Amino acid sequence: MTITLYNYVLSGNCYKIRLLASLLDINYETIAVDFHPGQEHKSKALLKLNPAGTLPILVTDGHVFTETKDMLTWLAQHHDQSNTWWPANNSDQLTRVVQWLEFSSRLSATIGELRLNSMLNKAIDVEAAKHGSKICLRELESHLTEQRIKGIQWLSGDNPTVADVACFPYTALSPDAGIEHDDYPSIRSWLHALRSLDNFLTMPGIHELHELKSTQKISP
Amino acid sequence: MSTEPIGLARDLAPKGVMRAQVGQTDLAIWRSTNGVVSAWENRCPHRGMRLSHGFVRGESLACAYHGWHYDCSGKCNYIPAHPELEPPSTIRPNIYSVVEQAGILWVNTVADAKPVSLPNDLIALRSITLDCNLPSAIDAFKAAAKVDAALFNGTVTELSQHPKILSLESPSGANGIVILFQQPHPKSVVAHLLAKDVYQTNELVAVSRWCESVRHKAEQQ
Repeated sequence: MTITLYNYVLSGNCYKIRLLASLLDINYETIAVDFHPGQEHKSKALLKLNPAGTLPILVTDGHVFTETKDMLTWLAQHHDQSNTWWPANNSDQLTRVVQWLEFSSRLSATIGELRLNSMLNKAIDVEAAKHGSKICLRELESHLTEQRIKGIQWLSGDNPTVADVACFPYTALSPDAGIEHDDYPSIRSWLHALRSLDNFLTMPGIHELHELKSTQKISP
Repeated sequence: MSTEPIGLARDLAPKGVMRAQVGQTDLAIWRSTNGVVSAWENRCPHRGMRLSHGFVRGESLACAYHGWHYDCSGKCNYIPAHPELEPPSTIRPNIYSVVEQAGILWVNTVADAKPVSLPNDLIALRSITLDCNLPSAIDAFKAAAKVDAALFNGTVTELSQHPKILSLESPSGANGIVILFQQPHPKSVVAHLLAKDVYQTNELVAVSRWCESVRHKAEQQ
């Protein structure tokens, strides 16, 4: 089955799909879309595929997905043999996954928009976006702190899920929008844990954790 | 400057780097793979890049800009552009005294760090940032403790005489919390919370939420 991602490398939402595909070792093709400055996602050809004019778009045999959360869910449902990234057999955890997937939309609408303003001069209400970003990060920090007190590492339980993947990019990229992580110790620990996963994938603004192994390789 | 609490020891895991402000000094605090904590001026001696953007590589911190490595003593031990060079021992960031005690990281930028002594039945719970000045933060916690005395088994007594520590206990002394206040900026306060080890998990979660309601009030003043 062919999976094709219409991709823009600097987009946090496109990165969510690339990240999950990497973590689950899914093969896919990418088609680069000139989001900026070309506005190609608003071109006739792409509007025909996705009338919403947004990225990413994921095309598989028989499906055209235009909502990031649905793509994550579908990929996990069909390509995760462990059934943990979309915990279909654990209805309590699944409910929490759905909640944090919803929350990820708020991160996109606040930090994501503020980042587009910082990087590409998108016209937005900057003060409202800053305020909204802070509220979101405080909510996330609060939840992750409570999870840590309960001895739980991830957003929905003891294992990472599509919810962690969905919330990770814009949280990690908030310094692009002028919001540092200094005030959010539990968020820092969670970001560090996610970056420590096998097959973790980087993007501009989110780099890898350097391990001792690579030091031994380069140091005299 | 006296010795300041800058965070929970558990919030800086091995290979972690964080940034902190003590007085006028911007700091990079990092923990090596083997667990050694260092507190340095947040400035690479090479080009002035913030070291808090750096990477921990084993027992060294590598600057994000050109990858210069500094060991736990601050000595530059590797320059990637000149791999054969033994870097001069004079290349080192300013280093400050940092100690871990009572689950808290304590820093002193002018002398050896000497943490205030705290009871040994406390668990470091969380650090929370409030966008307000120090008196507003302290007042809000005091006022809330009286209203929400259930967290302390009914009645609250204030114990500490220290201007930046609030110690709240039940009369029996069985329940209680200690809050260490840090003021990184004039309009920003970090409250580091420690709780007596008698609280159950759900009670600790309640204390954590309580802090957020206190913050809400403090920021409205």
